[in-house]
Amino acid sequence: MRPFTLNYACPQGPTTTVTPYSFDSARQLNVLPDGRPAVMDRELLLAAGTTTSTAGSQTHFDD
Amino acid sequence: MTVLILTSEEDVTADMVVAALHSLGTPVLRLNPADLPGKAVLSADYAHGDFTGHLSVNGHVLSMGGLRSVWVRRPGEPAAHAPEPSPWLTAETRQALYGMLYSATARWMNHPRDAERARLKPWQLRVAHLSGFAVPPTVFTTSPRLAREFTEEHKDVVVKSASGPPPEEPGTALPTTLIGADADFSAVAAGPALLQRYVPKRADIRLTCVGTQLFAARKTAEPGQVDGRYGDTGHPWQPVSVPGRIAVAVREYVVLASLAYAAFDFAEDEDGVWWFLECNQGGQFGFVELETGQPVSEAVARWLSQVPAHLRPAGRR
Repeated sequence: MRPFTLNYACPQGPTTTVTPYSFDSARQLNVLPDGRPAVMDRELLLAAGTTTSTAGSQTHFDD
Repeated sequence: MTVLILTSEEDVTADMVVAALHSLGTPVLRLNPADLPGKAVLSADYAHGDFTGHLSVNGHVLSMGGLRSVWVRRPGEPAAHAPEPSPWLTAETRQALYGMLYSATARWMNHPRDAERARLKPWQLRVAHLSGFAVPPTVFTTSPRLAREFTEEHKDVVVKSASGPPPEEPGTALPTTLIGADADFSAVAAGPALLQRYVPKRADIRLTCVGTQLFAARKTAEPGQVDGRYGDTGHPWQPVSVPGRIAVAVREYVVLASLAYAAFDFAEDEDGVWWFLECNQGGQFGFVELETGQPVSEAVARWLSQVPAHLRPAGRR
């Protein structure tokens, strides 16, 4: 029998996020193609959704 | 002295803190435990009556004697990126890494021992009660009869997961959902169900606590909206002041839970009461900072940069 709570599960929707930044191991943070830290681009981070309260739901339940 | 951040490379919220640490001039080492062994190297030495230890990754080196603080942000499973990962290798690597880190005298945000307890939803509700929050009536049960009686008593009831979506079902969401009065509760016997009286809300509140600093943000809810994490209401997160009694309760909670960082979720009802929903010991703050401009990452960086009390000059502890 499927647990009661899982009767209320639903598809999460598209989760593939294309992030136009990459990790810079020397600076220990992600950078944009022009070398600026990704955190400088607020609009981009908001659009990517990687900082939202459901961003880590598949791997961490502390959202 | 160096700050150690345990998280993945993709974690741009951690980037916000790394950038703040760079601005403060505080040395930092960022490590994903998944990269150990392999990209990262560890060595701990207990052989000569004393303890020394080192971590290195990407050309950065950290000595346990120079470890100032540890931020447990979004760490991967130890050894997850190893060429031949296995539960045994993960267990061995966890022993080596966390055993070494626990042997150092560093500040933790948050200590894994406290984090593990703080994740338990029933315990959260107990501590919330003790701290003075308004908490909606809640039941955890494997009894279909008790689940039905709870729903009959409280009418509008939501079901939520205590631990998040099932990891074996990727792409699945488990939003907090209203259940109907005619629900079939027989499946409650197959797994604990968390049922809670629904709080009709006019806004969601996310309160982030960093040490003693509080950052609260408010987002207007749509009529009848249940889970604020899902669905775009078109309303932005905006800074909001923290009521005095809430501030007192938050401080009581984090002391009882031994947490240096916590993200609280509240539902604000029509009377303006903030109802405690949960406390995420590792909750996200990136979206709040980006939308409100509240300097949460700087607060985290400053907390991590503080010198441990036992290393401060006498009189400044």
